[in-house]
Amino acid sequence: MNQPMNQPAGHDFDQDLARALAQDRAVPVPGFAARAVLAIQADRRRRTVLRWGSALTTAAACFLAVFVLQGGADDALAQRARALAASDESAQLSDILGFADELSVLTPVIDRHSVVDVLINPDL
Amino acid sequence: MSPEELTPPEDEEDKRLMSLVASGDDDALRLLVHRHHPRLVGYLRSEVGSQATAEELAMEVFIRLHRAASRWRPEAKLTTYLIHIAHNLVLNEWRRRGRKPTSALDSTPEPGDQSHDSARRVTELDEAFRKAVALLPPEQKTAILLLVQQEMPYEEIAVAMDAPVSSVKTWIHRARTRLRELLKDYYGPA
Repeated sequence: MNQPMNQPAGHDFDQDLARALAQDRAVPVPGFAARAVLAIQADRRRRTVLRWGSALTTAAACFLAVFVLQGGADDALAQRARALAASDESAQLSDILGFADELSVLTPVIDRHSVVDVLINPDL
Repeated sequence: MSPEELTPPEDEEDKRLMSLVASGDDDALRLLVHRHHPRLVGYLRSEVGSQATAEELAMEVFIRLHRAASRWRPEAKLTTYLIHIAHNLVLNEWRRRGRKPTSALDSTPEPGDQSHDSARRVTELDEAFRKAVALLPPEQKTAILLLVQQEMPYEEIAVAMDAPVSSVKTWIHRARTRLRELLKDYYGPA
């Protein structure tokens, strides 16, 4: 029987596949090992620099946080001062209302609300 | 002691070199790279189709191996671990390129060649095989390369591809079927 010209005699699919792929089974590259070692050494140095940089950044962040927390104490002080001033104003208002009450009792023709307005807004 | 219990000497040598690499021995590192880079580059070249890219990826494999040297467990074969890293890099490379296999061969050697030069026919057939393998889906291509080209057992292929053995066998079966279809001019219908 004549074999078709495109089918080598006695060939086997698996054998042919193995032969075709075996050509790239191992591809030695001259100088590759030396270049790889240099690349790995560079990577090692880079990672060391990154580790130190990260540690310094963390330390700086902690240092800054201490300053920020200390600044918060001043804000608390300011809030207390404002609260005291507010209580002082309310004490003054109580005085004005008390004075207005006394005036309205002593002079019934005077409107208590008018007295309060005058005392709170001296420009009137 | 049965043959299965004996550890091949090259595996023992790999373990020894890896422990030295983990302690910072660059001479051991150079020796390790020299031993393993040919097969790694060969496998990667078959995967990505470019010698330059294969060398770049192989370099990255050894960089990552070095980073993990202190964590590498000697129970795993070093060659399997190297292929595992390489396989992941190949997947990243395909994602980066967005490349998919085409549905037809780019070119096919003339099946009606009248030449009686069997060596030339073998070369054409080899080229046809390589082109056909390049068209396989990624998992099938990797599995068939690791089995046929790198002569790895199914269990090691499964570890390298991070997949069950059953999946590996399925991929290989489908790869063979697809290759027969692509090469039907040489072998007849599958």
